Amino acid sequence: MEYRFKNKAEFMEKLEALLESGINPDDMKIVIPNPDHDIEHLVEHYKSPSKLKYFTLIGGLTGCFTGFFITAWTSLDWELVTGGKPFLSWPAYIVIAFELTILLGALSSFAGLLILGKLPQFSKMLNPENYGNEFVIITEDEE
Amino acid sequence: MSSHAPNVNAENAPERDQTYAYNYKEQMEQDVFAAISKPKPMFFVALLISLGCVGIGAYSWTQQIVYGLGEAGITNPVGWGVYITDFVFWVGIAHSGTLISAILFLFRAQFRNRFNRTAEAMTVFAVLTAGLFPLIHLGRVWFAYWLFPYPNQRLLWVNFKSPLVWDVFAVSTYLTVSVVFWYIGLVPDLAIARRIKESKLQKTIYGIFSLGWTGTFKEWQHYNQLYKFLAALATPLVLSVHSVVSWDFAMGVVYGWHTTIFAPYFVAGAIFSGCAMVITLMVPMRKIFSLEKYITVDDFEKLAKLLMLTGLIVSYAYIIELALAMYVGHGNIYEYEQFMYRMTGDYAWAYWIMIGCNVISPLALFIRGLRRNLLFLFFLSIPINIGMWFERFNIIVISLAKDFDPYSFGYYTPSMIEWGITIGSFGWFFTFFLLFTKTIPVIPVTELKEEVE
Repeated sequence: MEYRFKNKAEFMEKLEALLESGINPDDMKIVIPNPDHDIEHLVEHYKSPSKLKYFTLIGGLTGCFTGFFITAWTSLDWELVTGGKPFLSWPAYIVIAFELTILLGALSSFAGLLILGKLPQFSKMLNPENYGNEFVIITEDEE
Repeated sequence: MSSHAPNVNAENAPERDQTYAYNYKEQMEQDVFAAISKPKPMFFVALLISLGCVGIGAYSWTQQIVYGLGEAGITNPVGWGVYITDFVFWVGIAHSGTLISAILFLFRAQFRNRFNRTAEAMTVFAVLTAGLFPLIHLGRVWFAYWLFPYPNQRLLWVNFKSPLVWDVFAVSTYLTVSVVFWYIGLVPDLAIARRIKESKLQKTIYGIFSLGWTGTFKEWQHYNQLYKFLAALATPLVLSVHSVVSWDFAMGVVYGWHTTIFAPYFVAGAIFSGCAMVITLMVPMRKIFSLEKYITVDDFEKLAKLLMLTGLIVSYAYIIELALAMYVGHGNIYEYEQFMYRMTGDYAWAYWIMIGCNVISPLALFIRGLRRNLLFLFFLSIPINIGMWFERFNIIVISLAKDFDPYSFGYYTPSMIEWGITIGSFGWFFTFFLLFTKTIPVIPVTELKEEVE
């Protein structure tokens, strides 16, 4: 069954009715023209929120560890006094660790979108389904 | 949960029927994507001028590579000149893009939605421009990879205690994260372009870059979270990048550089110059693409307020810097002399240009009528850009020209090669920007669609 709406309120009504009737949000295809917090709140009442945050967390921690490790290890690998400072000058290394935290955190979050959102979808690149600005619900029930 | 259409006053809003939002969205797509069409002759003229400037820059850099760094005017005692000034200037321009797209996103400032695409594009192109200058300044550019830590036969590593190495990490991280953030915002809009553009070639190109985005709830759900996290990551990043740039100076012992206020001072200055550049770019663009309906004078006024605020912070920093130097007075003769020299010495003209452009001229923004006059804002933004260039010139060059020992005082005159490369950098930036306006929707359509609901 395919339901198409031009009006958000009507769409939300139908969506709520469908979700109320016990259909798993994962079993239906919901297509919306723009991000919408009301719809997100409604569906997330029935479905767990995105797991993308774990990608960010793991990426960020990896970056932080890498930043401290690479600076400390290279300083000890060839001990060369520069600027009269100790080999392990932690305050200076915070900058590198911070930048790498952001870098890997951002890149792994992006990877998270690609993995969780199953993108890129090569088949849809050239032959997209066009719903325009309509709100669409497609359910796979045998009626 | 925004319940009002953008830019429509409550009194004269048309009666909303069932399909009001739908029709508004359809209309907006038409209006915004109309800009992506066959360019007018004026566009090619502008593009040719920009490419001409790139040519001048390329010629100058080639000269410098062939004949060596002696072609530039930098020498002892002023070893950092126009190149580093340009570098800091362009990194600064980049900053307001991230401010608008990330920080104002976290603060839920809705007016950012009009500016964020263009501002973010400006960020990417400005960092691309800035990134050239350390390479140009190196002289032997083919050894640029020495800046990165990589295993080598000499068993040597880069000096992680040096702010210059921090800068390599900060600027390359900034470029990468800005590109990702910008591209993520673009994906749903590229999917719209794929749908509404007619020609097969356009459909294919936009289709590939849209990653096959269909707008399912699942995609949006991950997308929203990603966008939020990227904004949260970009916010501390943008503050850190210009702080690190400022530490290139503040970590040195040179008077005029060695102060603790440099990081916040530089960040405020960066946002000040960046906002000015956003106005320089967007006032004509709005006119040319007839986007008056979507970017209103109210939106520009908010940007002008931001300009005013950051301008006042910058003025405050100038006063503090000077006041501290005067306060220590003869207790620290070098600091005192440095600031006296800035105001009255060989480079006094540059100092007073800076004061006029950055401190005096933004005061006009206290007048509401001028804040809302786009022509005035446009003509104000240009001296601010010039003033911010001179701010960096003053900090870098004047401090070096007169340091501790009278034996090593000097005067720096930029060479034609340096000016050529500076002109080239503007051409490089504007070439990218012009191509952007004709290939990518200049205002984020999906984000404005969200507002109309």
